[in-house]
Amino acid sequence: MSLSISQAKRTCSMTKKLWQFPWGYPEAALFAAGIILVGFLLQLVVGHFNFGLLHYPANLIALAILAGLIGLGTCFQNSLFSRWIAGIPMAVTLTAALLSFALYMELTPQLSRIPPQYSDLVSRLGFRMVTSSWPFVLLYTLTLIALGITTLKRLLRFSRRDISFLCNHLGLWILLASAGFGAADRVRVVMNVDLGETEWRVFNQDNEALELPIAIELKKFTMEEYPPNLTIVDRQAPPDSQPDGKSSLKFFQIDPKRLKGQIDDWAITIDEYLHTAVRVGGEFIANPMPESTPAAKVTAQNLLTGEVKTGWVSAGGKVPGSFFSDLPLDERLSLVMTQPEPKRYASDITVTHVIQEDVTLFDATLEVNKPISVGNWMIYQYGYDTTLGKLSRWSAMELVYDPWLLPAQIGMYLMAAGALLLAWNGANRRRVSK
Amino acid sequence: MSLSWNEFPYIALPAVLCWLSAGLLACRRTQSGRSVYVVDALTIIGIALFAVFIAAFWNALSRPPLRTMGETRLWYSLFMMLAGYITYRRWNYPWLLLLSAIVATAFTAINVLKPEIHSIALMPALQSFLFIPHVIIYIIAYAFFGIATLAACMLLIRRRKGGDHDELFAFTDNLVYIGFGFLALGLLLGAFWAKEAWGHYWSWDPKETLAFITGAAYLIYIHLRHQGRKDNFIIWTLLVAFLLLLLCWFGTALLPGTSLHLYS
Ligand code: HEM
Repeated sequence: MSLSISQAKRTCSMTKKLWQFPWGYPEAALFAAGIILVGFLLQLVVGHFNFGLLHYPANLIALAILAGLIGLGTCFQNSLFSRWIAGIPMAVTLTAALLSFALYMELTPQLSRIPPQYSDLVSRLGFRMVTSSWPFVLLYTLTLIALGITTLKRLLRFSRRDISFLCNHLGLWILLASAGFGAADRVRVVMNVDLGETEWRVFNQDNEALELPIAIELKKFTMEEYPPNLTIVDRQAPPDSQPDGKSSLKFFQIDPKRLKGQIDDWAITIDEYLHTAVRVGGEFIANPMPESTPAAKVTAQNLLTGEVKTGWVSAGGKVPGSFFSDLPLDERLSLVMTQPEPKRYASDITVTHVIQEDVTLFDATLEVNKPISVGNWMIYQYGYDTTLGKLSRWSAMELVYDPWLLPAQIGMYLMAAGALLLAWNGANRRRVSK
Repeated sequence: MSLSWNEFPYIALPAVLCWLSAGLLACRRTQSGRSVYVVDALTIIGIALFAVFIAAFWNALSRPPLRTMGETRLWYSLFMMLAGYITYRRWNYPWLLLLSAIVATAFTAINVLKPEIHSIALMPALQSFLFIPHVIIYIIAYAFFGIATLAACMLLIRRRKGGDHDELFAFTDNLVYIGFGFLALGLLLGAFWAKEAWGHYWSWDPKETLAFITGAAYLIYIHLRHQGRKDNFIIWTLLVAFLLLLLCWFGTALLPGTSLHLYS
């Protein structure tokens, strides 16, 4: 039976001319190619798609037009054209086209804005910023139309066995629509606040000052660190050929649970570790003052010669006056300590939020992965002065405003339900279309 | 108990020996009732050894061992065997147990030959309750896709001798659907997490782009199969999809562009 269908299809496609209904893959591929071509032409003529045009309420109007097209396609769902637009060949073609663009983005560096001096053909065709190039935007929109008609059709003749299909496709549609059409309304700015100061100005990408209904005072910046690594360096090698603190086998992590280890031919034992220490005489003693540094008393034994070296190594802090020290192993090699990596950093802040005449004030601790929300804004711990580390005198906070977050999240929840159903049911429940 | 990469070979070697002999035993033509139990026992012993190592390693690191490539390979060996064993029991494909044992062994071998350094650091962005589910669900998805790829290879081989092998094809579909379900969940958890950590749920970061590419490739397979097609071309899309997946997993470091996702 399935054989006869595929045979029938084959004879059908042999006798059917291109663009003679019913359309299938060749027409979908040509159509998509045409859309992409139009996109490239538009890109050459008008440049990148200007998402700024889609500010509220323009994006609502654009969405309404899109919904109208989808409604129209659904009204005429039995027409051969509508069945083709909302059919599998189109879905596969669009997915493949978007995949190709994504592959290109993956393989070449993408920019977030194009400097004016970039005028080669690659830039003019939009390849340096694919996600806002016309071909990509048109494909995205076409996908929304195709996906929309497919979904609405099934939604209208709802059946319980379509739940998984509906969760996946409706969820994806809502997510794509709010991510794409909401892009222009999203605001992301970074605010740098100095210790003890209150800041209300922020600057956008174009260095224009923006006024926000939010002011932030930085009361305290704190950081906890991991114990650093030990490594062996060549004192005669040029500085830039030294290990950089990342994945090389030559590092020994100072770990309170594991005090013995090995680097190359040297067995290492940590006799004592102080995270904040200052040097007094030839020794280090614990002291939390700003000039402190991590320091360890180490015994290193050469496994080949049996030679033993003992002494203090310290990383050196980030302010003048803190002491760096290495442990010379022979006339060329030294045991040294890397800078510690941050474990947790946080800003104690006071937020002032102004809504018309109302002013609310509250205290909060801002930490990575623990944003706070203020009205329609979310505030994130973004950065600090890395040259000073835990002594940083300022903290950078990112403020994000996204009125389309809720619909995007609804889409994601629907998709999560769809994904659970897929994982649970496997391919058993699907209906193979005829 | 705490164990590190230094001790790993002493646990890995017996575990993979268990798995390989279980796979070989399962593939033997004549099977007595008793050897079925031996297959079960060997597989489970291997899985238990791995689970114990991971637990002790976790304890040693004082952080979830899910950060570096080697750590994800460790979980992959475990989940590949779990998925392989479950599908072998459920659908009774003995060759699947052997092939997953071989894949798990290969991943383990990389970890034995290229041990990583002991590192307890976990950067603040990774310290979230979403870290563990996000990564583990991805690895489970990868394990199902791995098994689906093995099944697809078997399908190609068997179809050269003729026949459609509908049953094996349907089995492959099942694995792809299950794998895709997990992949989508992993992606969505990642999106929620990115919103918490970086302020936006999707930013076309290289790793996100590759995850999109992988997902799109499997979607193409799912939709092509939905039409009831069963030519070899479709099976090849599955193999290409898995290649893209491997690129996504191990290749991000090799590709241009900087990724927020680079942690090791
Ligand atoms: C997360 C993304 C997606 C998932 C998980 C997904 C999954 C599925 C599944 C499982 C089916 C079979 C439905 C059934 O058994 O009843 C299906 C059918 C279909 N999908 Fe998707 N899909 C996705 C995205 C898309 C996209 C982006 C499009 C279009 C641009 C699309 C268009 C279609 C079409 C046209 C069908 C056939 C519907 C029919 O025969 O009535 N899907 N999809």
